[in-house]
Amino acid sequence: MTRGLWTRETVATLTLASLLPLAVFWIWLGGGQALSRWAFTLLVIAIWHLVFMLVRAQPPSLSALVTALAIAMLSPEELGLFQLTLGITFGVVMGELVFGGWGRNVVSPATVTLAFFGFGFPAAPWPVFDAPLAWAAIPAGLLGMMIGVMPAALLIVAASLGALAAGLGLVSNPVLYAAGIALVLLVADPVTSSSTLLGRCLQGALYAALLLLFASAWSGAAPPQIAVAAALLSSLAAPLFDDIALSLWVHRRRRRHGRT
Amino acid sequence: MTFFRSGAGLIPEFPSPHENTDILDVATEEAGVQPPFGQALHVTPLVAEGELVARGAAVACLRNAPDICLVAPIPGRVARISLLPGRKLSEIILFREENGGIARHAIAASTTGAELRRLMQTAGFWPRLRRRPFGGMPKGDEVPAAIFVMGVDTRPYAPDPQQALEGREASFERGLAALYSVTDGPVFVCWPDGSKVPGVQTKEGDLRWITCGPRHPQGSAGIRIHQAFPAGLDATVWDIHAEDVADLGELLDTGALPVTRLLRIAGAGLREGLSVRTHPGADLRQLTRRIAAPGPHVLMSGSHLDGRPARWLGHRHRQVTVLPRDEARPRPHWLIAALTETAATRPVIPTAALNQSLGAVLHATPFIRALGAGDDELAMDLGLLSLLEEDVALADYALGADGGIMQQVRAMLDRIRVEYAP
Repeated sequence: MTRGLWTRETVATLTLASLLPLAVFWIWLGGGQALSRWAFTLLVIAIWHLVFMLVRAQPPSLSALVTALAIAMLSPEELGLFQLTLGITFGVVMGELVFGGWGRNVVSPATVTLAFFGFGFPAAPWPVFDAPLAWAAIPAGLLGMMIGVMPAALLIVAASLGALAAGLGLVSNPVLYAAGIALVLLVADPVTSSSTLLGRCLQGALYAALLLLFASAWSGAAPPQIAVAAALLSSLAAPLFDDIALSLWVHRRRRRHGRT
Repeated sequence: MTFFRSGAGLIPEFPSPHENTDILDVATEEAGVQPPFGQALHVTPLVAEGELVARGAAVACLRNAPDICLVAPIPGRVARISLLPGRKLSEIILFREENGGIARHAIAASTTGAELRRLMQTAGFWPRLRRRPFGGMPKGDEVPAAIFVMGVDTRPYAPDPQQALEGREASFERGLAALYSVTDGPVFVCWPDGSKVPGVQTKEGDLRWITCGPRHPQGSAGIRIHQAFPAGLDATVWDIHAEDVADLGELLDTGALPVTRLLRIAGAGLREGLSVRTHPGADLRQLTRRIAAPGPHVLMSGSHLDGRPARWLGHRHRQVTVLPRDEARPRPHWLIAALTETAATRPVIPTAALNQSLGAVLHATPFIRALGAGDDELAMDLGLLSLLEEDVALADYALGADGGIMQQVRAMLDRIRVEYAP
């Protein structure tokens, strides 16, 4: 029998491909240190994927590369190897693997890991992103939308509201840069973002609204920390938005046709 | 700009050799009368082995509905009648003999709804209808809430229904008018976008036209039904091919049901593609004997997406797909198998491709997830009752599910029929 290409691993590969502009710029600016950080994160994730393959017969996924990239880019600097390993282990195991692997998780493992770092090691300094790196998030998002592995409505709504807020001077540039990078790396994850059009618009709007709220009311928080917190809460709200969208759709169909 | 104007859906490409443009009329030497795919029919044979039957003569009828008959697609001699336990029909094989003749039915000057229904059943037209929800042919006394006439087929290498209707416009209109009398609701005609819509008189019934783009699954009956007039547990919807509607019109004019249909043979296992006019139950081996490429191959009745290996052409099928038979691959190393295979269902990742593969008319990701989780109620809310396996065949193909999604749809429909259907 003939088979199509849009399997889980194809989507993981294409997601990585769409994030390549961001990854290349980050490695170019960060050099060997950035590369070794990505490699170490990937090693820890790969070990846990291997453990779950042997113990639970769960096939590993290439999405580990995307998760490792997001963690390596956004995690606090100057964390020791043990702290890094602990955070990655918590995020990957509790955020993804115990649910059955990529495709069945509720929250992105990278988001869980980064939130763990934020709560567990608040003294660790968060990275600062320069403008060129933040600009690279735009082609990454566009590629993801064109290939179809990133939710277009979510990206467009969040980016539009972010641009509006920046135009009105409501958010500073560092927050905007971190928010843009977190948007394509964490919020636009195809599995954990909303799957309905209305849900995606609402999730994008919530991400932008939370970002504005945290940027104005969370004193002392670093820009990546703000972006990660907004990403975590908006991802947790995604199933609720989907449920609202489906309920409205079913209600409309019942009113129009008398059945669904 | 055509790309953006052609609407939702995908255009899957499969290898197939160049097609011969001539359309041949072929009646195979052998033919098989079978129940529709996936439907068990308890039948009473009306002929004996060795008996000579006319084309269109009844060879079996349903035990619980004796008016509904299965008819001989070719004139010939009954070679074998195979019944499974419970008198379920397996197949009735006929050998062609030209002196068998053609069976004709008495046609009244003005046919009422009940008379037309009985004529359709006794003439062997009934298996050409398909009901939703659950699929299969309708019950004898069932009144549909709507009927969909499919004048478009967007499956890869599907024959163009417009080509099949060339020169038969009057019969098509006659058949369309006849359909009003078997339903209380509207008759929808799905027609290709940009094609000329025939000027059918609509004074007798509620006729509505739906235009469809060229991408699959826009020409899929389930997708159109879901969008325009969803089927429900208490509202059955029938669908029928436009060529069959023209056959109905001709049956009402002449008293004899035409059995030939436009069929397209395609696939990578051929030397050249071919379009023929042949009959249901045609012998696929004879149809492909001269055009199949050397080497082992698989004959499928149906398209690349939803075809099934078969010996005889299915009741509603208008495509034959010939694929090279894959050699049995050696078992991979256990580590490779562990890295690439899993006993559990693979999770589906939401992408634009998944959405387009279901025509962007239903919420694809929640629907596929409800199927995988066995959530009957959510799947019904999202439109499962309007769909059959062939409507999700493109999603199954696109996701590389190897038939898993089609199996989930069938299993869930069977479960709903037992637990929810009145």
